[in-house]
Amino acid sequence: MTNERAFKLDAALKIHLLLVDDEPDFKEILLKRLTRMGIQLSLADCCAAALETLETQPVDVIIMDVSMPGLDGIQCLKKVKERWPLVEVIILTGHASVKSGIEGMQGGAFDYCLKPIDVLELLEKVELAAQKALLNKENAKA
Amino acid sequence: MIQRLWSGIKEALGIYILPTLSAEELQRLFTTKYRCFRELLTANNNALEAMAELETALRDGRTFSMTFIRSKSTVVTVNIFKMIQNLRKMGDGRYLNLEKSFSRIQEQIDAVIDKEIIPVEGDWFIPITRVNRSMVEQTGEKMANLGEAGSLPGINIPPGFAVTASASRLFYLENNMYPAINRIFQQTDAHDIEDMLRRSEEVQQLIINSPLPAELERQLCYQFDQLLEMTDSDVKVAARSSALGEDLGRASFAGLYHTELFVDRDHLIQAYKTVLASKYSTRAMTYRLAKGYRHEDIIMCVGCLAMIEATVSGICYSSSIGGRIGTLDVFFSPGSAKGIVDGTKKTNHYTVERMAPHRIVDKALDADDASAPLSDQQAVELAKISMKLERHFGSPQDIEWSIDPTGTIYVLQSRPISVHLLATGAEEGVIFEDDRLLLHGGVTGCPGAGSGPVFIVRTNEDMVQFPKKAVLVVEHPLPEWAPLLKRAAALVAETGSEAGHLATISREFGLPSLLSLDQATHKLVNGETVTVDAANRAVYRGRIEELLEQQGKRPNPMDGSPVQQTLTEVLKLITPLNLTDPASPYFRAALCETMHDLTRFCHEKSVIEMFDFGKRYHFAQGAAKRLVDNMPLEWWVINLSDGFAPEFDPVNKFINVTEVVSTPMIAIWQGMHAYPWEGPPSVSMRGMGAIFLQSTMNPGLDPAVASNMNQKNYFLVSRNYCNLSVRLGYHYAMIEAFISSLRTERYVTFRFKGGAADESRRVGRIELLAEILARFDFRVDLTGDALNARVEKRTQSFLFGRLKVLGYLIIHTRQIDMVMADPQHRQRYRQKFIQEIEEMLSNDK
Repeated sequence: MTNERAFKLDAALKIHLLLVDDEPDFKEILLKRLTRMGIQLSLADCCAAALETLETQPVDVIIMDVSMPGLDGIQCLKKVKERWPLVEVIILTGHASVKSGIEGMQGGAFDYCLKPIDVLELLEKVELAAQKALLNKENAKA
Repeated sequence: MIQRLWSGIKEALGIYILPTLSAEELQRLFTTKYRCFRELLTANNNALEAMAELETALRDGRTFSMTFIRSKSTVVTVNIFKMIQNLRKMGDGRYLNLEKSFSRIQEQIDAVIDKEIIPVEGDWFIPITRVNRSMVEQTGEKMANLGEAGSLPGINIPPGFAVTASASRLFYLENNMYPAINRIFQQTDAHDIEDMLRRSEEVQQLIINSPLPAELERQLCYQFDQLLEMTDSDVKVAARSSALGEDLGRASFAGLYHTELFVDRDHLIQAYKTVLASKYSTRAMTYRLAKGYRHEDIIMCVGCLAMIEATVSGICYSSSIGGRIGTLDVFFSPGSAKGIVDGTKKTNHYTVERMAPHRIVDKALDADDASAPLSDQQAVELAKISMKLERHFGSPQDIEWSIDPTGTIYVLQSRPISVHLLATGAEEGVIFEDDRLLLHGGVTGCPGAGSGPVFIVRTNEDMVQFPKKAVLVVEHPLPEWAPLLKRAAALVAETGSEAGHLATISREFGLPSLLSLDQATHKLVNGETVTVDAANRAVYRGRIEELLEQQGKRPNPMDGSPVQQTLTEVLKLITPLNLTDPASPYFRAALCETMHDLTRFCHEKSVIEMFDFGKRYHFAQGAAKRLVDNMPLEWWVINLSDGFAPEFDPVNKFINVTEVVSTPMIAIWQGMHAYPWEGPPSVSMRGMGAIFLQSTMNPGLDPAVASNMNQKNYFLVSRNYCNLSVRLGYHYAMIEAFISSLRTERYVTFRFKGGAADESRRVGRIELLAEILARFDFRVDLTGDALNARVEKRTQSFLFGRLKVLGYLIIHTRQIDMVMADPQHRQRYRQKFIQEIEEMLSNDK
């Protein structure tokens, strides 16, 4: 119904996105699609790697898986929001539950989405999160 | 002290002392609030969409899974949480009670969906000789019945032992298997057979590759050794599934699981896990899905029974299916019974009287196999056993048996035949003996008729290709084909009998099926449309309406199932709307009882927060501008963000519509002006009387009583957003839309309530509105004289069109409630509205 051409990204093109997920196939597909759409994207396959990336380069929006080796996505979210409160985090999980959804939102997630997700739908969420992240930065400056 | 008291009172009353802010700070605050408002609207959109999906699935009798319920409920709760957060930010921390209401409802939903899975108490193994019906929670249905049968005098069962529910639950919990399986399910597309096949394989591998707890493994081998000592040294066992949690009165679960035959000690562990894993075969998964069972509720127990060397085996129905009253069926063939239940073997069929001395009234022998391996005496013996089991268990039984070389009859299984699964003897109808008749013969599995293109299935690849509503044609009615039954129009098989598993499942789904129809895969051609009249055992060329017309509606296999019940319970916490009237004293955060109440409350309050901002903060940019227009009505516009052209000077008190850049507002405006209003209808004296009476009863309807937002007609706008609240005469209407390039955000919604005439006339208008809105693709909800209509996530041009429809309707349905009692008037308005709207929309293209 929606096609890629009908859909304009704006804020998403001005930010740096980090994808944290341990599923190589999923990451590869997303990397390809998002890069083609012109989004700057880094990858991490666990929380520790994600935190390392955050230390070394500016990140505005994170797409975070929940079940990963080491710290899970919800715990990782809390760590990120503690140190980098301006970063917006989209939780993307393969195992939904009402309880973990609320946990994620209470931890400060921008949104909580379920796999499998249509890439265009995810892109829209990224665009909205990016708009907010840019606003966060602006407000922090003021 | 007094000051503190005063501020306390003010706080309690919701009055805040606002800090003095600079123009720049005000603008930033306003922008932040608008940002929250937008997020709230998007969350509202997502929540309402998911709520509608849950509701529709139940109402339309669709097949849905626990994964669906869990996912959609999560979307609903997460988004409502987001709405509350944003509203609290907009309200500077007010609305604290919302969080309490939310937590209360959310915890209830959670408890309904995710019941905790706890270990099952009890022994891991029970010798079959000690098993009886009372142990069904430990051994599963099949083994409990078999143990019980074996305790009856004159009935033999093979020696063996049951591996219990507590053993398999332990295996699952130790390996943390339930979350892993649900994770795979969440990503499964149940409509795609190929995906189902792949995911089924994935889950089964997960189970087979997980280790048994060491002590369990050791004891399982020990049990086998005990069996060796009791019998002869080269005994092999059959590992049979015996599931728990299957309500056999409602569902047969026929042939869904695996039985591993000729298992020796070396392969015991593997065989046990293979049987456990067969709970996730594609056919079991699709069957559970169609019938509404939760996989966590079905615990697989396993019976390890010594193999019987069978010379002849078969099935008895202690009450004949499809046969004469007072008879029972004996189906049999040489060797083991497997060929009968999976329909690969040609089957002999005796019909025997239920009453002693059990006269054999009919013998249908397979022509190729003239020497019947079953003596009349054995048939009578089987009839005796069948009746004994029926009497003992108290209902007609489906009995599987084998006879060994010494002539001993062993009962291998006895289970109730659920009543609705007994096909009633089909009345012979007409056979059209003309050139349309392609095939005639076979046996009826499930009566009824179905039509569609022929699709012959031989392999898994064919299965993946199977189109919806096709006629499924197979050589053998194998249980593997069960996943196709939900999507087929009819089933035709060359072999098999009404006793086979697939035939049983076809009866449960109400799918017309015809078995043992010779030459079916040769005479029927892929793609050719045929009509299968299963009751009269005929297949015709083409589609024969008169046969299909007699069909009742197919039963919904999910009715009364655990998954359906779960959705019903969850919906009670999600969809009912109790907070319908914002003016009511009961419109309060603490009184929200459902998720719908919460969305309604948050939405209402968020609009008011935006509306009030200009006044509360003395913010000129946020103040209302009077719209310059030729209509005899006052329209006011409030700019929330970027709804006015940049060159518009915010100091102005008036604004022209050309200075508005809000695209949704412009669309509404175009709809309002597309046709001139023809004025109020001429009203009979009785109609007028009804209006005056209503006005005196309800002072809120008196236009002279002013109460901020109620009195004037307001547009709240930004470039992509518009909220129009209208009080035209005696009714209240609201149109709201967000239309941007992002699909997630897009929606159009409409609310309508009240009117001046008496209730029947008001409802008359609302019903007319509902009918027209539904015709133009809105999802409409009517409660009394309140109407809610919504459409979301469609293309922008589609949604702009819907806004025009709403703009048109709020102008042209003014005051028509007065004449709604007259069916002729109603008809006239309906035609006029539909015709003009269609014309207006077609002008766009």
